[in-house]
Amino acid sequence: MQGDRKAEPRGWQRRDFLGAAALVALALGVPAAAVSLTRLDPADAPTDRQRALLREVAQLVIPRTATPGAGDVGAGDFAIVALAHGLEGARRPFTPSDPADARFLRNDGSIRHVAWLEKTLDTAAGGDFLARPVAERHALLSALDAAAFASRAAQSPWRPVKALILAGYYTSEPGGAQELRYEPVPGRFDPDLPLTPDFRAISNDWTAVDFG
Amino acid sequence: MQFDAIVVGSGITGGWAAKELTEAGLKVLMIERGRPIVHGEYETEMKDPWDMPFRGLGDAALFAREYPVQMLNRHFTEYTQGHFVNDLENPYATAPGTAFNWLRSYQLGGRSLTWGRQSYRWSDYDFGANKRDGHGTDWPIRYADLAPWYDKVEEFIGVSGAAEGLPQLPDGRFQPPMALNAVEQHVRRTLAEKFGRCLTIGRTANLTVAKPDEGRSACQNRSICARGCSFGAYFSTQSSTLPAAQATGNLTVVTDAVVEALDFDPRTRRVTGVRYVNTANGTRASATARLVFLNAGAFNSVHLLLNSRCEAAPHGLANSSGVLGTQIMDHASTLSAIALFPQFSARTSFGNRPTGVVVARYRNMDTMDGAGHTRGFSFQGGAVQANWGAGKREAGIGTDLKDRLRHPGMWRMVLVGFADCIPRDSNRLDLDPVRTDRFGIPQLRIQFAFGKEEEAALAQAKADAAEMLGAAGGTVIMGMDRPGTGGMAIHEMGGARMGHDPKTSVLNKWSQAHDIPNLFVTDGAQMASSACQNPSLTYMALTARACDAAVRMLREGAI
Repeated sequence: MQGDRKAEPRGWQRRDFLGAAALVALALGVPAAAVSLTRLDPADAPTDRQRALLREVAQLVIPRTATPGAGDVGAGDFAIVALAHGLEGARRPFTPSDPADARFLRNDGSIRHVAWLEKTLDTAAGGDFLARPVAERHALLSALDAAAFASRAAQSPWRPVKALILAGYYTSEPGGAQELRYEPVPGRFDPDLPLTPDFRAISNDWTAVDFG
Repeated sequence: MQFDAIVVGSGITGGWAAKELTEAGLKVLMIERGRPIVHGEYETEMKDPWDMPFRGLGDAALFAREYPVQMLNRHFTEYTQGHFVNDLENPYATAPGTAFNWLRSYQLGGRSLTWGRQSYRWSDYDFGANKRDGHGTDWPIRYADLAPWYDKVEEFIGVSGAAEGLPQLPDGRFQPPMALNAVEQHVRRTLAEKFGRCLTIGRTANLTVAKPDEGRSACQNRSICARGCSFGAYFSTQSSTLPAAQATGNLTVVTDAVVEALDFDPRTRRVTGVRYVNTANGTRASATARLVFLNAGAFNSVHLLLNSRCEAAPHGLANSSGVLGTQIMDHASTLSAIALFPQFSARTSFGNRPTGVVVARYRNMDTMDGAGHTRGFSFQGGAVQANWGAGKREAGIGTDLKDRLRHPGMWRMVLVGFADCIPRDSNRLDLDPVRTDRFGIPQLRIQFAFGKEEEAALAQAKADAAEMLGAAGGTVIMGMDRPGTGGMAIHEMGGARMGHDPKTSVLNKWSQAHDIPNLFVTDGAQMASSACQNPSLTYMALTARACDAAVRMLREGAI
């Protein structure tokens, strides 16, 4: 990568972020050497605080119950990598509805979701979002979420963040195989069953993921 | 290298040609441009999402850069990306004003590894379509010519489906059908009772009964077919035709070798073999044979004929008619309707069924009742129940959201319309005059657009789909009537059409070049019309039939 060393982010060593391999390894528990990825701009490497923020946000979206929460399973880190790599359309050009958000735009016109989210939540919290009590954090994020889905017309950077937190969670082993059912080899098709309260959804029904 | 026959391509029809010709005792060379893939050694098949770098979803930035066309295939994921071409390395050109997405798989097995497996017979409404409305040129065959070959192919590949007795969608030699879910059963009843139309389970080349003699197991209802299936439960070259051909001891397979031209002897008016490029090192080689079968995929077979131009055939081989490359087609398709069925919220299903449903054509059969079009359309789709993916589109966070996503959610039924594509001279392939690929081979150039007939058909399909799902109690939430970009049905075909007259067609009724008796083209290039059914089963039947004819002619000394 031909990065500018002066742009090296704090907290996350630039060399560690080359190709995002280390982050993926961290998020997914796979050997970094096994991962060959699109190389990313070092400016997309998160700070420690941004990682902590995404972990917390993930945990607010899918909290720990009898099964782990999304923050517990690394869905925050997954979302950071996935956003930088453009999953859920995250690298498409973005037109901010709030002109103040223009400062988060990259040269390619896409928005830096993580930086945007950090600033937006801190602003809503009147300070450090992470320092607020959990009930308040939940309320603040809930309000952000409600606003993002209130209008079809307005494009909110929150939607891809949430989508990738959910993807990160339900494709993790705890989310996919403990919270939901993971059935790699169903072996049969039962076409018509009563939907009883104990019937958990199949996490790997990919047709349902795409079209359901 | 000297062979009895050379088969160019190893996909759905190449595998069939290799099987039929080797079983007839011919020594066959099958040349594949892509890499070898060994049955049972599918790299991602058994991986869990948490073992994939991007959880199976894939590196969207990589996809946008290197797979901008292939990524549009709904089966293209991190799991399957190795079964599709890299667009950067495999360029093609489009004429001004043309948008065409050419979805390709260059590897041993070709698109047989990634196909949708839907297997439908064509009827005489289809083979008679050109003659009836005057578009294109008449097919030189009818259903009766192909019926025994459909039987043979279905029995070998294994097609599960339900017999319905429909003249427009003839029944085949089916394995037991897969089952309709609760919503689909309800819609089937409604369509039959209120409209006299037939919704039936997809006829799919997934086994519901194992074929142990061929080492193939019954489908496990995983619905991850495009990764490759070690169970051999769906038809692919690897699971089915290749082992049959190899068992004869008559097959030689060369991979990583792209055929750039056929050799033609102007004295005998025969092809003598092929020239090919080793894709690993760029070296060139050739092979000779008494017969050549082109099975490179419709557009690539045409490309090969065009690029085989020579002094004796300056406009391409087998092109004395001048129609080579013309009248290419792809089904016009679009998402005609989505409807919600909350009344089924107490029902669910288990298992990932690898097929949807089909609503058989009902327009322009014995009564011309198409609004602005003369051909058919049909629907494919199915009812699915939401799972965690729905959480992306809904407001809510916290335990409420987690609890909601724990259980199957809303049923929705999708109907995707597939309309007949009119054969037009203006939709055509040629060689780009300037651009070449990395081996210096001229790029194929595609000129394509849908016309008013396809637009009219899909407009009617949208209205009909909404009416049918509404009559079944569904709440229609959206529908579209504009055709998607050409190529998206992945049924590109035509360009070397079959016909009666050597002046207006490239191939005769045996898929044999009018101009060159020892040259056969038995993939989608031979199609003279598109019907509205998935075409692969018909390609296979035509291939088996052509092989039988070729062997007979060879033995009789006719070629």
